[in-house]
Amino acid sequence: MSLLTGPGREHLNGHKDETLHNDIVLVKPKKEVFVPLNNGSSTKVDVYVNEGDKVFVGTLLARRNDHFNVPIYSPVSGVVGAKKNMMHSVLKPQEHLIIEDDGKYEKVESFKPLDYTTATHDELVNFMMEAGIVGCGGAGFPSYLKYKKPENINTLIINAVECEPYITADYRFTKESLEDTVLGVKALLKMSTAPKAIVAIKKTKKELIAQLKEAFKTESNIQVFETPDVYPMGWERTLVYEYCKKRYNRLPSEIGIIVNNITTAIAFARSLKYGEGIVEKVVTFSGDGLKNPTNVRVPYGTKVSEVVAQIGGYSSEDVLVIAGGPMMGKTIPTDEFVITNYTNAITILKNNPVEAMECMRCGRCNDACPAGLLPVRINNAEKMKDINWMTQLRADQCIECGLCTYVCPSKIDVTEGVRRAKRALALKKG
Amino acid sequence: MKFNFRVSPNYRTPLSTQRIMTELTVGIALVLAYSVYFYFTKLGADYGIHALLMILTALGTSIVVEVLWALFYKKNIWKHLNTSFPWVTALLYVGMMGVNKPLYVIFIGSFIAIFIGKLVFGGFGHNIFNPAGVGRAVSVLSFGGFITDKFADVVTGATPNQVMETLGWVIKDPAVVTKYLDQFGGLWSLATGGYVGGLGETNTLLILAVGIYLAVRKIIDWRVPVVFLGSLFAFASILAAMKGMGIWYPVFHMVTGGAMFGAIFMMTDPVTSPTSIPGRILFAFGVALLTFLIRIKGSLPEGVIRSILFMNMMTPLIDRAFDGWAFEKVKKYAISLTVIGALGFLTVGVFANQVDYIAPVVEEEPVVTINLKGEPVVISQQTSPTAVIVSEVADGDVTTFVVNINGYAFQSDHSDDPKPNTLEVKINTATQVIESVAYVTFSDSKNIGDKTNSDVFLSQFVGVSIVDETASVDVVSGATITSQSVVKAVNAAIAAALD
Repeated sequence: MSLLTGPGREHLNGHKDETLHNDIVLVKPKKEVFVPLNNGSSTKVDVYVNEGDKVFVGTLLARRNDHFNVPIYSPVSGVVGAKKNMMHSVLKPQEHLIIEDDGKYEKVESFKPLDYTTATHDELVNFMMEAGIVGCGGAGFPSYLKYKKPENINTLIINAVECEPYITADYRFTKESLEDTVLGVKALLKMSTAPKAIVAIKKTKKELIAQLKEAFKTESNIQVFETPDVYPMGWERTLVYEYCKKRYNRLPSEIGIIVNNITTAIAFARSLKYGEGIVEKVVTFSGDGLKNPTNVRVPYGTKVSEVVAQIGGYSSEDVLVIAGGPMMGKTIPTDEFVITNYTNAITILKNNPVEAMECMRCGRCNDACPAGLLPVRINNAEKMKDINWMTQLRADQCIECGLCTYVCPSKIDVTEGVRRAKRALALKKG
Repeated sequence: MKFNFRVSPNYRTPLSTQRIMTELTVGIALVLAYSVYFYFTKLGADYGIHALLMILTALGTSIVVEVLWALFYKKNIWKHLNTSFPWVTALLYVGMMGVNKPLYVIFIGSFIAIFIGKLVFGGFGHNIFNPAGVGRAVSVLSFGGFITDKFADVVTGATPNQVMETLGWVIKDPAVVTKYLDQFGGLWSLATGGYVGGLGETNTLLILAVGIYLAVRKIIDWRVPVVFLGSLFAFASILAAMKGMGIWYPVFHMVTGGAMFGAIFMMTDPVTSPTSIPGRILFAFGVALLTFLIRIKGSLPEGVIRSILFMNMMTPLIDRAFDGWAFEKVKKYAISLTVIGALGFLTVGVFANQVDYIAPVVEEEPVVTINLKGEPVVISQQTSPTAVIVSEVADGDVTTFVVNINGYAFQSDHSDDPKPNTLEVKINTATQVIESVAYVTFSDSKNIGDKTNSDVFLSQFVGVSIVDETASVDVVSGATITSQSVVKAVNAAIAAALD
């Protein structure tokens, strides 16, 4: 019904070529890493090590222990230092555990590897939880929850769309880990209980599509699904709708679908094979604020400033440092924050402020909204502080994809207005 | 190193409101340029220059008003102009005005469009009504009859829709259809601007081409013109089918009365139309329905702009009606639009049933008797003009009387300062026969009274005996009052000759 609701998507200039064709560069922290003692919005983390303890790559440092269970493994070998409050990519200061890097990268097995072909469903779910596998699309949501009680799942969608501009981390990482990709997808497919899986990828990525097809050619129940080159194709709802033209209320499992990021699948494969959690990440460092946009493989907990310095530095004195892509990533007003184990990109842009003008009510934001909202109306409601109106307009459904701000010809921060409305609704509810 | 903070997203489309307005301006300018070319080549340099002056007047006025506004509110002038786009309003406004309009009407209209239509509401983005539409509505309502004297002949040419109105919006007889369309050069000429009308409204196909370009460039939403033109075409087709008219009829509705201009340039004005897609569809459908009903049943020949202004007023209501979460409500939207659409078509069906061909009334020419006592001549209920003999010169048997008589101009408010007509009546006193009747000076209403200044009318008097109490002449149709005033003047001369 896009005739009545608008396309809900938009082709963006991807700026992918800056990093698409170059190999991943290995980057090491200078002297210490800072392990964030949080997971998502939760800071309820039990720490198991003390200052002065010797740790190895893979040593269990802490565990998120509320309604979710997420272990935190050491990214480097060295000595545990003090705790430090510092800026985090969620744009709030968080407690970090300092680990002095001895530069040796001595590894321990965090847990026993597992043969997924013989393991039971429950074993696999527990294993995934124990491995600390989180969604690597950028949100960091614990993955095991999706597979806990699969019911009537008909399709597993492996999300390799990577629709945000500048980001090519999934692309490069998948290209360099095709074997692990196959293993990871097959393991996830087994856990999902679905009869088939699809690997969704933008049709413009011809080279990788060919490689994936080759890699999966013996797997009749795993297909490559080519999507249009639009934003936000990688958002769960947009992707699911593109695949089966169905919408769901809260979770895709309602209509028999589980969606997981391809990097998550690879990370899961590595944990099955080597008994390691996500201790290093492939991260795209891109944007016109960098001299040499590069994909780096880096132990998580490494400071952004150190990575930037090692890949050639900034190209401008006046920049925006964005944790994530330019659409959804938060601007962090410093480069003294660390790569987390679900960071997929750091985008650094030259600071080119734009001046907003009066809204002309053109409705482009309404047509573009992938969540079917009316951002201009929500902005009006928010300006009037009319809670009932905001509720009627379902501001709570916003995913802050940023497309409304992107399309606004008057250069208004439309998304921010919706975000405020969403917050107001959340406050009222809470 | 400076690390800035800005809320996400930090990525924006290159498309700006400035660029949207620039492309729109180029589109309208192209349409206006065609008109200027048409006037220069088909009607002469006078018309072309006047059309250009109209455009410049509108542009100048609107920009000056905005600059004064910016000065008054101590705003940066360049920045204000660059975010207010007065030239778009000016070009749209002048595009809807005929070439015969005096420049002061354009000046007043542009001022009203910008000031009343836009600035008093708070400027760009806040106005309720389409500013150009406001300017045009005021110009037509308040200055409809104000025309540039030297272009009087063009003025009078009734628009295709005005003529259609007199025929009841139904023509079944193919011969009449051909005759009707031929006076405007046929359907093709109507579609390509081969006739005189609003500066930018006549060349439908050119506007359509510009519209397609703008829609492809996503400057305008294609749904609005498509729904409007599609609905109007469907309505006209219903009427055509009911009355047995051909395909020419719906096409005629597309190519006249500024339908295309309104569809591409006026209805797509984002500020005054709904923000949601179902809202815009309803908006365009509403304009089409109102336009069609005003055309076939209203007292006005044309209704596109009035319908747009009315639907502008409905915009907040429509926006409110479609507030909500599209994913949840899309079915409801589809159903309600279908229901409203069906009701609209039903309404059109009911009204279309009521219209029918009105044969042009062949006025029965009243016979006025030249009567010595002057009794039957009744010029109007209000005043009966008195003929004044200015001079009486006898040259042998022929006496020449110069008579002043008030014509139609005195009966109407057509002129602020009416002057009497002066006639020269020659009477042979020997044979007691009228030799000739002629105008010395004609000061009466153009296009009405001046019809009496013709051989056909005046020659009727020649040879009439001044003692024949039953002699009569036929009045000129459409100029009865002036005809009668001439008779009265002749009567006065006869009375003087018999004295």
